[in-house]
Amino acid sequence: MEFLWEGIKEAIRLIASGDRQVLHAGFVSVLCTVSALALAAALAIPYGAWLGLYRPRWSNLQALLLRVGMFVPTVVVGLVVYGLLSNHGLLGAADLLYTKLAIIVGEFLLAFPIIGSLTYAAVADLDLTALETARTLGASRWRAMWTMLGQVRVSVMTAFLMAFARCFTELGVAITVGGNLEMRTRTLASTVVLDLSRGRFSQAMAPGLILILIAILITAAALRIAQEQKR
Amino acid sequence: MAALLLASLWAGLCSGCGGAEGSQRLRLTTTTSTANSGLLGHLLSPFEEETGIEVVVVAVGTGQALALGERGDADIVLVHAREREDAFVAAGFGIDRRDVMWNDFVIVGPSSDPAGIRGESNPTSALKRLHAAEALFVSRGDDSGTHIRELGLWKTAGLDPAGNWYWKAGQGMGRCLVMADEKRGYTLTDRGTFLAFHEGVDLEILVEGHASMRNPYGAIRVNPDQHPQVNASQALKLLDYLTSSEGQKRIGTFRVDGEMLFHPAIEY
Repeated sequence: MEFLWEGIKEAIRLIASGDRQVLHAGFVSVLCTVSALALAAALAIPYGAWLGLYRPRWSNLQALLLRVGMFVPTVVVGLVVYGLLSNHGLLGAADLLYTKLAIIVGEFLLAFPIIGSLTYAAVADLDLTALETARTLGASRWRAMWTMLGQVRVSVMTAFLMAFARCFTELGVAITVGGNLEMRTRTLASTVVLDLSRGRFSQAMAPGLILILIAILITAAALRIAQEQKR
Repeated sequence: MAALLLASLWAGLCSGCGGAEGSQRLRLTTTTSTANSGLLGHLLSPFEEETGIEVVVVAVGTGQALALGERGDADIVLVHAREREDAFVAAGFGIDRRDVMWNDFVIVGPSSDPAGIRGESNPTSALKRLHAAEALFVSRGDDSGTHIRELGLWKTAGLDPAGNWYWKAGQGMGRCLVMADEKRGYTLTDRGTFLAFHEGVDLEILVEGHASMRNPYGAIRVNPDQHPQVNASQALKLLDYLTSSEGQKRIGTFRVDGEMLFHPAIEY
């Protein structure tokens, strides 16, 4: 157990000394997760809401697929993206394998089902009278949908945080299509794996603790925003 | 009622999860090269049958394998990084180091070989060419035995590889081979892992056979004076078996696709 304590000391040392590799890994983790989440939220929130409110054709099937998507192992998503970006794959010519963009694509696929399906579940519970009222008052379907989404802000924020948790800590995508390349695509989570494989247990704890620290900051900020919106 | 049923089901499932009572297990930490190639299954099954000892194989990098031994979380280690092994013994973590076998390293690269190293007999001159051409080189970068050897070869060549062409992957050999294949780069690999992977990849052995590319494996018992809980008596039995003529013969007869991957350390 002593390496847990050692890990805390090491984490403080790495942050205080501004260790280039750990800072870069933190940068890669935050950049990839934030980009993937922004993209996923922009598409999955309206998609999930539309599905729940207007029940288009096959909406039950789509909702089911979204739910299943939340359970796909990150390595399987990594494998699918690898298949696409590989030299022999459909998008091989784009030369995206082992880049941050490849990680963003994979994390987008991880985040989309979580945000989409939880948004869907939240609006499906709503009383639809408000929607009908807005529609009779002449609001477009799109406009009325945004009004309804306002009522489930907190649920959408929770969905966003769950997607954040899945992407920020994942390894399957970062290692399979990112390649865990030093000072390029190495994330905090994959730094932990590498230090572990080197047998450096306390050094492995440090990036793990930094990861948790960033997660606390982002969660706190998100909850703050949600509370202010409520007021 | 349902909760009770679930609880008993759960308890039933979990009873098989812990360590087996009575019969002690023998924990061997080793490198992925020995486990992934299938050698260990071939080598250990007669030993397990004869003695009734269950050997739990933990296949990790050399760095982690030794670290687990250092912490007393292994009973015996089988690794390939001679300097690390000697340091491990010198520090009192291990005793009774013995040579078990050897295999060799090769430099592989794309068949188009843009840096023109094919047929180079000395790996250090090949590395010099790669450095001069700034040809993409995938380094393990994980403190594994292969990585330590690669760094040693660069040092012998008098070079300090760095730059956009030198990728530190921090991953196992198989994944590094896939990366080199995808990006048409070069890498240093043990022959066994390459043979296991070469069908799927467009990489060829370009440099091989030099004396500096030999890769000896040693087995070390974890020191019971440091960690009284280790399974010292069975570890000694396994070590004796590995270096016995029977064990050595088993290593010498192991083939993958008709190729010999490991050479016994002792004449049998």
